[in-house]
Amino acid sequence: MKTFRIFLMKFMRLLATLIILTSVPSHGDFSDNLRVSLDGSARLNVNNAANNTSRIYALGLDTHKVFSSTNGDIGYAVGQLYLTKLSNQTPYSFLFNSADDKQFVIREAHLNYTAGSKWFPNIRVGHFTLPFGLEASIDTNGRLLDYYHGKNLGTKLDWGLGFNKVLSQVQYEISYTLGGKNEPKTIDSSYVFSGRMGSLSHYDFIIGLSFLDAKIDNVQRKRLAIDWQYYWQTWGVLGEVAFGKDDKFQQTWLKEKYTLIELSKTSISEQFKFYGQYIFTDHEGESKNQQLINIGVRYQIDAKLELSLSSRKQLNTPESGKKQNLVRLQLRYRY
Amino acid sequence: MKIIIILTLLLFSIQYSYADAYCSLRDPVAQIQQLYPQKTNQLSIVKTVDNSTRNLVKLALPSNDLHFSELGRHTLYVAMKNTEALGYVHVRSEQSRWGLVEIIWALDKDLKIKNFTFQRCRSPKKKVLENEDFKNVFIGKSYEELKTLLSSDGITANNILLDKAKGAPELASVVLRCALKTLLITDILWGEELKKFNP
Repeated sequence: MKTFRIFLMKFMRLLATLIILTSVPSHGDFSDNLRVSLDGSARLNVNNAANNTSRIYALGLDTHKVFSSTNGDIGYAVGQLYLTKLSNQTPYSFLFNSADDKQFVIREAHLNYTAGSKWFPNIRVGHFTLPFGLEASIDTNGRLLDYYHGKNLGTKLDWGLGFNKVLSQVQYEISYTLGGKNEPKTIDSSYVFSGRMGSLSHYDFIIGLSFLDAKIDNVQRKRLAIDWQYYWQTWGVLGEVAFGKDDKFQQTWLKEKYTLIELSKTSISEQFKFYGQYIFTDHEGESKNQQLINIGVRYQIDAKLELSLSSRKQLNTPESGKKQNLVRLQLRYRY
Repeated sequence: MKIIIILTLLLFSIQYSYADAYCSLRDPVAQIQQLYPQKTNQLSIVKTVDNSTRNLVKLALPSNDLHFSELGRHTLYVAMKNTEALGYVHVRSEQSRWGLVEIIWALDKDLKIKNFTFQRCRSPKKKVLENEDFKNVFIGKSYEELKTLLSSDGITANNILLDKAKGAPELASVVLRCALKTLLITDILWGEELKKFNP
């Protein structure tokens, strides 16, 4: 396994180098086919349960570059790097060292080689969203809308290698990543093997099946999931059901269940989007399950400015006695 | 690793775009294959739709405007058979009462409509406009020829097109406006660069 991981790291570096070296000299300037957005956001979190108000500020570059040769496209790269500052944020993510810390955070940063023949899969290397469930086909980076990959799977993004392809009726993505989350390395034999196969993402009805076998932060996880999206005019009904088990204590597997149902409505101009989520999680060994509702609205003021508001409430009382009650407001500007 | 990414991003940050790329192909490789089955690859050419493009569209097509999300960096795909260009693929979206309709347009090298398919259309009348009778009104036509299908209000389609739309007049007008804007914007932004594929 260790030899394979070393091979994986070397292969990632080699492929990235090859794509860049074979494309740049053959097709104009490096700035050709490049999209760059300056992306800034300020988020206010009012945690009524913990009687705490916090803020998160992020400023970064969101880039997308298509690499081409005279015969056509070779692949593309996505790079998202953000300087993120916390202010009185508790609890805080593993990426930070204190409630008021600031760090450079890498979101997506990957290359996808797409120039293979009809049957040959595209090859993705870098830091990317795990191909699992709803999150795999809906971009939630930098948004209040979330499908809770990090909480359910141990991480949302990871460094590694993946294969993906869109065929005439189905699309698939399968990946092996290192389990280091934000670090491109294995930590205590960590790994993530995950994949999703589903109907095409531009259909009105999309259904997908996913699996995950992982060890992250010394917790072993196994999951199977089904997800769906159905759109009718300006309405959407989305869902994800996942079953599996976790081993947090060495040789003690505990069952896990997770369900998310979302109803959304967008305005005709798509400036407004309203959504409501019901989230159910059940961990074996805990006396109570957890039921949450999440209601949100997004207002795209113009092409650059977006205002979002969301409110999360816990329906049942947990063992701690304190129900989650969180209101968040975010202003985001992309230029 | 962070330093490498920072340096790469600094290299990237030569020009800025607006928000997310809006009307792009979700699955370019597979979808271009449907419109050009003989293609072996595609070549992306990214250009910026800005306010000056928007004003040119308003001037050429009075009573029309671009949706705010249409501003930004957009991709035109050249369908390639080895080193030969077969034609172009361009996706544009148009607002409708069923939300945004996204249409994938296949254009020939003379910038005439070769074919089209819906990438996203949540109107119950979509099937009506996928029939050959309706499509044939568009196929082989240039911008100027298609413009004659607009009514005097500059927004709705005239009876020549509506006769083929069989109870889907509103969606037919959406498709026509989308076709006109696609041909116009392709010519304004990509026209000069595409000449090398059609000497």
